[in-house]
Amino acid sequence: MTVAPERARAGRGVDPVPPARRPPWRDRLDRWDTRYTPYLVVAPFFVVFGVFGLYPLLYTAWVSLHDWQLVDGAERFVGLANYAELLSDENFWNALVNTISLFLLSTVPQLLAALGLAALLDRGLRGRSFWRAGVLLPNVISVAAVALVFAQLFGRDFGVVNSLLGLVGIDPVDWRAETWASHLAISSMVVWRWTGYNALIYLAAMQSVPKDTYESAMLDGASRWRVFWSITVPSIRPTILFTVVVSTIGGMQLFVEPQLFDPGGTATGTGGNDRQFQTLVMYLYEKGFRLFDAGYSSAIAWMLFLLVLVVALVNFALTRRIASKG
Amino acid sequence: MSRTPVGRTKAAAAVAVAAALVTACGGGGGGAGDDKVKLSIGVFSDFGFTNLIKEYQAAHPNVEVEQRTVKMEQHHTQLATQLAGGRGAADIVAIEEGNIAQFRQSKDKFVNLADHGAKELESRWAPWKWNQGTTDDGNFVLGLGTDMGSLALCYRRDLFQAAGLPTERDEVGKLWPTWADYLKVADTFTAATPGVKFVDTAQNVYKAILDQTEEGYFAKADDSFIAGTNEKVADAFELAASLGEKKQTSALTPFSQDWNVALKQASFATTTCPAWALALIKAGAGDEAAGKWDVAAAPGGGGNWGGSFLAVPKQGKHPEEAYELAKWLTAPEQQKRIFKETGNLPSEPAAYKDPEVTATKNEYFNSAPVGEIFGNSAENLKPTYRGTKDAKVTPVFNNALSRVETGKQGTAESFAQAVQEAGDAVK
Repeated sequence: MTVAPERARAGRGVDPVPPARRPPWRDRLDRWDTRYTPYLVVAPFFVVFGVFGLYPLLYTAWVSLHDWQLVDGAERFVGLANYAELLSDENFWNALVNTISLFLLSTVPQLLAALGLAALLDRGLRGRSFWRAGVLLPNVISVAAVALVFAQLFGRDFGVVNSLLGLVGIDPVDWRAETWASHLAISSMVVWRWTGYNALIYLAAMQSVPKDTYESAMLDGASRWRVFWSITVPSIRPTILFTVVVSTIGGMQLFVEPQLFDPGGTATGTGGNDRQFQTLVMYLYEKGFRLFDAGYSSAIAWMLFLLVLVVALVNFALTRRIASKG
Repeated sequence: MSRTPVGRTKAAAAVAVAAALVTACGGGGGGAGDDKVKLSIGVFSDFGFTNLIKEYQAAHPNVEVEQRTVKMEQHHTQLATQLAGGRGAADIVAIEEGNIAQFRQSKDKFVNLADHGAKELESRWAPWKWNQGTTDDGNFVLGLGTDMGSLALCYRRDLFQAAGLPTERDEVGKLWPTWADYLKVADTFTAATPGVKFVDTAQNVYKAILDQTEEGYFAKADDSFIAGTNEKVADAFELAASLGEKKQTSALTPFSQDWNVALKQASFATTTCPAWALALIKAGAGDEAAGKWDVAAAPGGGGNWGGSFLAVPKQGKHPEEAYELAKWLTAPEQQKRIFKETGNLPSEPAAYKDPEVTATKNEYFNSAPVGEIFGNSAENLKPTYRGTKDAKVTPVFNNALSRVETGKQGTAESFAQAVQEAGDAVK
């Protein structure tokens, strides 16, 4: 196997040198080259991951086993006490429920809308690249700017959404005080930002679906709707599952949108005056950076990590089962 | 990596402690070759230092000063992580009055300014202000006082006129010697002009009342948590909440974006205003409201709200030079000029009693004699004791008031929940 490239290289010379005359150390070098260079090339990623991913992860675990004040450091070792407290902490469960609710409210409509959008973009539109680039635009805008604009739209007294609702005779909604209203408002931000992004991923997958399948279905008299659900969607099933996994991980870590939607901002970080829309990461931030309880905050970080891990594993198992069916 | 910037934030939150420590030993590099002393000063909002720094650099050619400004809530969080990590903090940092008790706990991260001779300066400041910046019975000087927030009450003249109330500031001040009188004025106002809210937020009224008491959430004697038993807290809460229950407040988060919009729309008639708040009101209400706002005496006499200190973190390379600059910036002569420029009231009697300061009028606020109003208020001022964990508890009670204002809970129920939550937070 390893001889082939050598020959090719030697072959480039004007008069080929017989391989036997090459010094043995060059052969060894070549063997090492082919065997180890790939490792060398992928190593930077793992080094960076080790420093910025693995080390903090382990360090956070260490911190979570202590009574740890943010500024002054470790006060004493407490073992799993932080975790025990976490499991009986109402605010933690509240944050978890909020996170899941926000995740469902934003991911489900987002992926469905993306699917529809991708199907439309897949048809022969005029000015195709314009529309395709356009759907990605919301994703490019800074999340802080998006949150500021949406916070204005969903203002209670002078917000655009409330004045539109007023036109059809609906009383103004206090978007930050009502649990469901706040979840809807925040989800709308997430949906707006990520639908186009997912649509482009779906579009890429749809374009690799063989066109003749569509043609034969059409010839058999299937409607567009039927073709979409019976051919397009099953054909891109692995891609759909990929987006589900990625959205799940993103959704579990939802932070900036709700944090900026909170009028108290980082000063309180409680996600509304009764924690109506406090997510897990917001709770982590509140504990660690406003209350300076780094130990407890690290425990939340680890719980979150484990949760994401479990969800990712479930997703992975589903992916394997469903993708292999296809 | 995660596809969202959210992931980045989460990672930052989870690892900040760790990451900071990784780099802690790295050192800052340091500008070798250049023998200029480089100082940085970290502030929030407008301390009025910009021109003074230029002047200081001109007088000290070997010193170069860089000013870093961030938003107030971020400023203190950032400072805490920088102290924890051992690097990144500015050479001089501003600490707000509501946060200084919290940092007093971590005094070993700061330079004891007494080692540089700060104790000689004690007589410059109002005694209470000096004491807030020191610990260990005055032997550890953590920070030098900048401004203070003596209290007044700002009101819209046009809205008062529409409600048939007096509009001249002396008469307005006489309407409300106590907070109970203030509530009566609120009733009169609401009865006459039901479409306009009397006050922006119950939170500020609550804070103003509480700032006029000697003790708030924590006992002066031993720093123990007393919010549940201190009647002053319950009374202040009830009084402020009653405005909310009667829908006489706009239920706004103070100084938020919505608050600015409401100011612009003239949707409320009064707001509590410490000296530094005048600049915020002016910025929010805009030029078209010039002359419509005015400043009257606050109910219940003076109280302190806000004001900051300059401290020197130990991690800086030039503690001596940093101290010199902080000393100069907080000297009465400089503070006087800051007052004229930004309206931040000095905390040194020599400055706030200076005829130049007391004669200052604020044109935007219908030429109110702010120097006189705030100077007088400062004279009667008795500061509230701030517990070490004050900053943890305050938002809990603000949220509770907000629940009453938005109609989610009744006063008693909301207060009980707040006492419970605050107790958990200080455990």
